[in-house]
Amino acid sequence: MTDFGGAAAELHEFDEDASPDAEVLTKSLGWTFWICIGWLIVIVLAAILAPWLPLKDPGKTQINPDLGAPPYSPSGSFWFGTDQNSRDVFSRTIFGARVSLVVGFVAIASGMLIGGSLGMIAGYFRGKADKVISFVFVVLLSFPSLVLAILITSLLNRNLTTVAGILGFLAIAPIGRLARATTIQFAEREFVLAARTLGAKHPRIIIRELLPNVIIPMGALALLGMAIAIVAEGGLAFLSLSVEKEETWGKLIQLGSGTRDLQKAPWISMGPILVLFMTVLALNYAGDKLRAYFDVREISL
Amino acid sequence: MNYWLQRLVIAVLLLLAVSMVTFGAMNVLGDPLFNILGPRVGDTSPEGLELIDDAKAEYNLDKPLPVRYALWAGDFVRGDFGVQFSNDGQPPVSNLIKERLPRSAVLLVMAQLFATAIAIPWSLWSASKANSGVDKVSTFSTFLIIALPNFALAVVLKYLFAIKFGIFPLTYTADDPALSRLFQLVLPALTIALPAAAVYQRLLRTDLITTLQEDFILMARSKGVSRRNVLFKHALRPSLFSFVTVFGINTGALIGGALIVETIFRVPGLGSTIVEAVLREDFPVVLAIVMIITAAFVAVNIVVDILYSLIDPRVRR
Amino acid sequence: MNVPIQTEGRVSDGTLLEVTDLKTHFRTERGLVRAVDGVTFSLERGKSLGVVGESGSGKTVLSRTIMGLLPSTAVLDGSVKFAGQETLGMSPKQMRHLWGREMSMVFQNPMVSLNPLMKVGKQIMEPLDIHLGMDKRNARETALTLLRDVRIPEPEKRLDQFPHELSGGMRQRVMIAIALACGPTLLFADEPTTALDVTVQAQILELIGEQRRDRNMSVILVTHDLGVVAGHTDEIAVMYGGRLVEKAPTKQLFANMKMPYTMSLMRSIPKIEDPSHTRLLTIPGRPPDLVNPPKGCGFAPRCAYARTKCLEERPPLVPTVESDDHVYACWYPVGSPEFEERDVEILSRVGVAGAAS
Repeated sequence: MTDFGGAAAELHEFDEDASPDAEVLTKSLGWTFWICIGWLIVIVLAAILAPWLPLKDPGKTQINPDLGAPPYSPSGSFWFGTDQNSRDVFSRTIFGARVSLVVGFVAIASGMLIGGSLGMIAGYFRGKADKVISFVFVVLLSFPSLVLAILITSLLNRNLTTVAGILGFLAIAPIGRLARATTIQFAEREFVLAARTLGAKHPRIIIRELLPNVIIPMGALALLGMAIAIVAEGGLAFLSLSVEKEETWGKLIQLGSGTRDLQKAPWISMGPILVLFMTVLALNYAGDKLRAYFDVREISL
Repeated sequence: MNYWLQRLVIAVLLLLAVSMVTFGAMNVLGDPLFNILGPRVGDTSPEGLELIDDAKAEYNLDKPLPVRYALWAGDFVRGDFGVQFSNDGQPPVSNLIKERLPRSAVLLVMAQLFATAIAIPWSLWSASKANSGVDKVSTFSTFLIIALPNFALAVVLKYLFAIKFGIFPLTYTADDPALSRLFQLVLPALTIALPAAAVYQRLLRTDLITTLQEDFILMARSKGVSRRNVLFKHALRPSLFSFVTVFGINTGALIGGALIVETIFRVPGLGSTIVEAVLREDFPVVLAIVMIITAAFVAVNIVVDILYSLIDPRVRR
Repeated sequence: MNVPIQTEGRVSDGTLLEVTDLKTHFRTERGLVRAVDGVTFSLERGKSLGVVGESGSGKTVLSRTIMGLLPSTAVLDGSVKFAGQETLGMSPKQMRHLWGREMSMVFQNPMVSLNPLMKVGKQIMEPLDIHLGMDKRNARETALTLLRDVRIPEPEKRLDQFPHELSGGMRQRVMIAIALACGPTLLFADEPTTALDVTVQAQILELIGEQRRDRNMSVILVTHDLGVVAGHTDEIAVMYGGRLVEKAPTKQLFANMKMPYTMSLMRSIPKIEDPSHTRLLTIPGRPPDLVNPPKGCGFAPRCAYARTKCLEERPPLVPTVESDDHVYACWYPVGSPEFEERDVEILSRVGVAGAAS
């Protein structure tokens, strides 16, 4: 039962560990964190090694006369069952991981590169550069991002590069805003002033003094960002606006989401949903733990 | 007053910028001519070419980009959203908007209402049981709900409640009476509401726990106020600030999420319309809806500010 | 000076509160914190007791324990009898009937102790509604009367204002009004003046004293400042390390203090008669560890007059020769030969600066 009122403040006088949300303040990552990292490693490895793993061909129709007519429900030979064209859902999910993960990673990486640089420039130099860059950020952020994504992907060739590029583009503003805020925070600290009085030039200060400090909160949020990017790609895929050739998780889920399919063979989308969910969950959880560990203030993405 | 004026100016600038970006993107990256004339664009016969010229003249496609933009903007501001490129007979866009906007609005309002109705009691409950076993389970479950992408959630909810348990209908029928249409919107609204509710609950819970440590709570208890009333009458209101802010910001985010949900549940609202329109490169429709969405977003932010000043009398001017 | 409501307490005279060997311990990660470690006293109806000590002495925990406003991690022992009824084991639900009605509390910082988002009037009327079932009109009338009692200017206006619209002194008066609303028999004032200007402090203390007399109400005044209790209490209890180290009727305490700690407290108060630039005497060292209290006298490590015995054996609380009402816990109290001996040494070392009174 929680205790109301300043009573708990007395406890504080005696014991600094007695805080209301002790779970958030613990400075250790915990075993649950490592489980998430473990899952992420597994899925990444599976995606990379997919062509060499003993998986059934994701594009080929598999008929097993013993099991009757396709689609087959999950069983020993087809872990996630098969889809309407009798293709193995499990291997399709693993191969789908390749694109989904790559898109997520590239998107965040480019977002951090560009957004991070812009944010740091804005935060360090302030003045006109800051006003312009901030306005750009605000405009980008005011756009319902999905609309922008839909807009652009519909007008271009939809391959890995463009889709990852769009999502990366959308990541620039939120990441940039964070980088800017963090830079401002640090730029006012003494060690930067000290460097300046020692005659250090701007690029040197930015790279040597500010960058290491800004990278930490950004890095902690990278995992969260990846989760968001993967989900975004999934959303686009659902609207048939993701990469055209390869399978992604979003596409797989969409293919199995028709009313009839859900009635007859729900596993077609549930399998990929499960894997997607666990990956995003792991990214979110690990990212959150990292954020708490490095004590990054909640600047929402 | 100066403050509000500033905000208005920024809002207008924003809308301008957004419209320019969208207009530019559609006209530069896409091919408006193709959308109007379809395959006839490739018709090099004399009649075909004449058709193309006529089309160009009628839709001002022969003029440079900035001029086209200015023309469009002029029309837009006067309420003329242009005509739909891709529908037969090319009915005015405003018809489409009038028909579909209310549905999306209702959906969003329902979603936010559900989310708030779920979040507030839930957060009050978990704040009063902070750090107990059930609270930890509850916190973990919010995490799960937030992690699940909305399209996946939509599929899961559709499967569970529309198909397996058959509680909700599968499609939206525009001709049905109002009440049953509302019922048809429940599942899509829930899909949007659940993750939002989880986010709100976490925020409210944290703020409530913090507020409950304050001295005035102890003071209230020392007056003999019951635990329940301490929560509702004393602790809740001061804890609403972050919630209100996020609520407002989230409305914008929810608009985006509504696109996918409308598509999945086949609700003919603004969201599914713009998806279709983008796929068909129906520029006027896209532009109109983008502007509406952005304007709504900006308006919501301003309303959030107003709400803020109502909740906290210290902020009132 | 109206007295609109006065409960007919079960005790209209005589002993209202009896505290016997009260212990409050908190279970923490570091161990068991003995915040209050065996305190005994009693209080009569209409009398006021000052509880004085540094932060960490347990004085606030004491008042909250008697009120019953502690977190559930507290381990309680001993006995608290209020109007003859044992309240120590009562559940919050049961205590709720007493809170705001028979006993109430005025808190230290009125800015954070009043609900910032609730009108002042509403906060005053709340206990009236809960305990006395008053309807809105009556409650408003009563609230107005209360505001007049506590001498707030323009009381009608104040009812509809918010705490931040009032000055610090006014807010504290409001708190007092709230505490007095249902006519309690026991009022706790926890550092009621610490957050206020010096000029306002005196007014507030006067006000409390006035209400006490008018309502025949008992008051427990908790503070770190001996100056505050000097003119406003009938009796003073000095706490150190969770224990009572001296207790006496106020006049006797100031005339004849026995415990060197009390003396140090006295000497830390700047006095107007002191020559300018008199160095303020501070007590060096830190309060004792409440998880592992020392086996001897708690104050000994910091006491200039301590000897070996002080560190080894805990002195018991004994009455003075002059009066049974005055008790103290010290092996070598002020006035004893050992004390005088040490005093001479000290004075010769330090010089006269700071050794005022």
